[in-house]
Amino acid sequence: MSTEAVLQAPSATHHEAHGDHHHEHHHHETFITKYVFSQDHKMIAKQFLITGMVWAVLGGLMSVLFRLQLGYPDAHFSWLQDILGKFWVEDGRITPQAYYALVTTHGTVLVFFVLTAGLSGTFANFLIPLQVGARDMASPFMNMLSYWFFFIASLVMLSSMFVETGPFSGGWTAYPPLSALGTASPGSKTGMDLWLVAMALFVVSSLLGGLNYIATVLNMRTKGMSMTRMPLTIWALFFTAVLGVLSFPVLFSGFILLIFDRNFGTSFYLSDIYINGVGALPNEGGSAILYQHLFWFLGHPEVYIILLPAMGMVSEILSTNARKPIFGYIAMIGSMFAIAILAFLVWAHHMFVTGLNPFLGSIFVLLTLLIAVPSAIKVFNWLTTLWRGNIRFTPAMLFAIGFVSLFISGGLTGIWLGNSALDIHLHDTYFVIAHFHIVMGVASMFGMFAGIYHWYPKMYGRYLNNTLGYIHFWITMIGAYLIFWPMHYEGLAGMPRRYYDYSIWESFKQFAELNRFISTVAMIVFMTQLLFLFNFFYSIFKGRKVTTLNPWNSNTLEWTTPIRPGHGNWVGEIPEVHRWAYDYGKDGREFIPQTEAVGADESHH
Amino acid sequence: MDHTTEHHGGGAKEVRNVTIILTVLTIIELALGFWMMGIDSHSTRIAVKGIIVILMLAKAFYIVGYFMHLKHEIRNMIMTIVVPLLLFVWFIIAFLYDGNSFKNLKNTYDPYKKEVSQTKIEKKEEGKETKNEAAEEKK
Amino acid sequence: MSTTATVTAPGKWWSGGKSPFNVEYGKLMMWYFLMSDAFTFGAFLIAYGTTRFASNGWPDPNKVFQSYPGMPEGSSAPLVFVSIMTFILIISSVTMVLAVQAGQEMKKKKVVINLILTIIGGLAFLGCQAWEWTHLHHEGAWWGSNPFLNADGTQSSTNFTNFFFTITGFHGFHVFSGVIINIIMLIMTLNNVFEKRGHYLMIEKAGLYWHFVDLVWVFVFTCFYLI
Repeated sequence: MSTEAVLQAPSATHHEAHGDHHHEHHHHETFITKYVFSQDHKMIAKQFLITGMVWAVLGGLMSVLFRLQLGYPDAHFSWLQDILGKFWVEDGRITPQAYYALVTTHGTVLVFFVLTAGLSGTFANFLIPLQVGARDMASPFMNMLSYWFFFIASLVMLSSMFVETGPFSGGWTAYPPLSALGTASPGSKTGMDLWLVAMALFVVSSLLGGLNYIATVLNMRTKGMSMTRMPLTIWALFFTAVLGVLSFPVLFSGFILLIFDRNFGTSFYLSDIYINGVGALPNEGGSAILYQHLFWFLGHPEVYIILLPAMGMVSEILSTNARKPIFGYIAMIGSMFAIAILAFLVWAHHMFVTGLNPFLGSIFVLLTLLIAVPSAIKVFNWLTTLWRGNIRFTPAMLFAIGFVSLFISGGLTGIWLGNSALDIHLHDTYFVIAHFHIVMGVASMFGMFAGIYHWYPKMYGRYLNNTLGYIHFWITMIGAYLIFWPMHYEGLAGMPRRYYDYSIWESFKQFAELNRFISTVAMIVFMTQLLFLFNFFYSIFKGRKVTTLNPWNSNTLEWTTPIRPGHGNWVGEIPEVHRWAYDYGKDGREFIPQTEAVGADESHH
Repeated sequence: MDHTTEHHGGGAKEVRNVTIILTVLTIIELALGFWMMGIDSHSTRIAVKGIIVILMLAKAFYIVGYFMHLKHEIRNMIMTIVVPLLLFVWFIIAFLYDGNSFKNLKNTYDPYKKEVSQTKIEKKEEGKETKNEAAEEKK
Repeated sequence: MSTTATVTAPGKWWSGGKSPFNVEYGKLMMWYFLMSDAFTFGAFLIAYGTTRFASNGWPDPNKVFQSYPGMPEGSSAPLVFVSIMTFILIISSVTMVLAVQAGQEMKKKKVVINLILTIIGGLAFLGCQAWEWTHLHHEGAWWGSNPFLNADGTQSSTNFTNFFFTITGFHGFHVFSGVIINIIMLIMTLNNVFEKRGHYLMIEKAGLYWHFVDLVWVFVFTCFYLI
């Protein structure tokens, strides 16, 4: 007996639960196994999505609260105190401690829980098996564990909001010494411990998920689905998983050293510290920069963990709705590969002003600016895909185009920031905030929205309401620019981030009205997201029903499944694939699904 | 289910050979370690350390290649595992380079610290005694 | 592009419907998990190296690690004990290879014997480590306290012991979980689970993990004890 035999009959070793049964509901599913501890990748995807949405609302609400402080520093909102209590609001104003806690948690939650778990967790789970033609993930059980680790991480992070000393408040990057010393600030006490536990659980979750995604893409593709026939979504999610598997462990190591510094008297990151009221600390010989190196070795790939899934989905949606093949398919894969590699080589550009060796810094500048090349290739390919397309402006398509727009305007400021000389001025100003919110935050949110609007019919068998979708898009699109564009000017004027109140600074007083404007728009945009949430949940039950298998006339495999596929996805045999995913407008035909055999007289391209 | 010779290569002979190689490499490493103790020249020590690191990588190669059977896998699989490890090159260079640079910074701008770090402590013998005391206590 | 369905021999592996590497998914996942774990250990060791490069002095391992159990008073035997530990781990790796090979040949008895030997090797290693830790602790070394001086006789920072205990501890934790995994494999073998399944692939995966633990020790051993 050898591996060969096992490979020929995979159902013998794994997939016992769903292996090769060709009927939709062969075995009885209880409420618990179907909706809670489900091993169906589609249900797990929905779980990730809805948990991510809960976090997005909480994280968004936090940003509204601290924008309230920044926009209206003199106002007193006594009603807020009644809702949130004394730790958060005192005398009608957000307390400084709460302000830092809000900024920190907003960052952590949005980066990790919403845009990593909520985005790649949702769409990797949902799309990988459906688009490569697999009945489920390689290991459905580990997939389920991945979600539940994320869920527990969420609970721990949530509980940190309710401890007496408040949640961690030293910034989402958790630099020591603030994060390493409980005496440094109230938020560095229990709040930080819970933050670390939650993040450690999150790393476990993302590893379990990532390994599964890689194994599924490599091993479980259906017959004929060679790597170069895969839709770009799958390529993007594949690279995302690789990035996660290789970079999260480094963060994990950094956290373990941090835990020792916090609890066991070590000084990996500590040296020469004096704390008011405590005195000089005995810790000697460590370096806080070491933590920053370890953190950003994850932190930079993390940016692409967030961005790549959005890029992949946008490529797919643009091509489908422009009714044109994606321009430069291989170049798209190549540039994603280049981005994935460069992601690991540029981390120290976040640290130009920490005392990093300037010569080393110059190499990091070079490597950083190199990222512009694959990024530009992708942008031009998207634009050429749109060029002379027969565009259908569905909400998904609008969000995809919005993504391209945001990626361009946010990416260009990245070229400024990548220069270590300019960074001396721009570092830690609102310019940075504007840059990464546009290029990574909002752009990825747009990718996520595009994905939700596009694949909602597959998820729930119903459509989202289009009118609400258009309102959602336009307000969000205009709002995003109105919020973040002015921040560039504030940053150029030197306005630092993370300050509690700018009105006492002579140089930044001039921005009082601009700040109020930004805050107002932020609130409006936040309200619009609630509209989207209403649309989402209302449509699950009352949305217009999908009546055709392939509502977007798309080529990829997921549209060959039943309208509401059961566990196992396909009734009967898994279809075989004969062509790439982008045969749109070929030989006078609008679209040719991947499952259709290549005709004898078909043209090449 | 006949077991075809799926796992070509391998075999008892290979295991024996690799075991011998690993043992010999370890013994050479240890010998170099002992030898290094008596050397005061800084550059020679660095060179010996370099040789030890190379031997370490050789050992890693034999363990991964033969014990973990990677050498007998399909070439593409070897690549997917070996190529990402190349990331360690820049990972190591950048970290160590910056560590070294941080030391120089401290030594340049904190002369007091540098002086303290260069003062020899005379309680070396004392340290030995306390060690012995501790050993006696243990008994 | 790849519209044409010409399947050539080298591309055949990648054309879908089968594993391109001819391995089942579990082994693939184990490999990639180990790669990710290599980055965990890599980050630890690189952090250690960075701190060492950022320090003006560092203790000489030959002066620190120079004891073995029952050593006569006043003598010193640098590197001896840790060499024994290294050989224990290498030998346990060899027995694990033999267990895996026996599994491929479906020889249950040979699997059981070699697994037991591997477990004994793992436990012996853990025992040695426990002794070494206790010994160092008696000398006053622990997280946050370092009784040793730098090689040039200057005051050493606590980071020498901090890193030593953290990294060898993390490695010891891996050895421990490896032993647990091997014990589970042993119980499953004795219960004929693999015989019924028709293959011993799970032992192969456990073997990969165990060799990885050995591999990490090669690096830890070199970084802490030799250079």
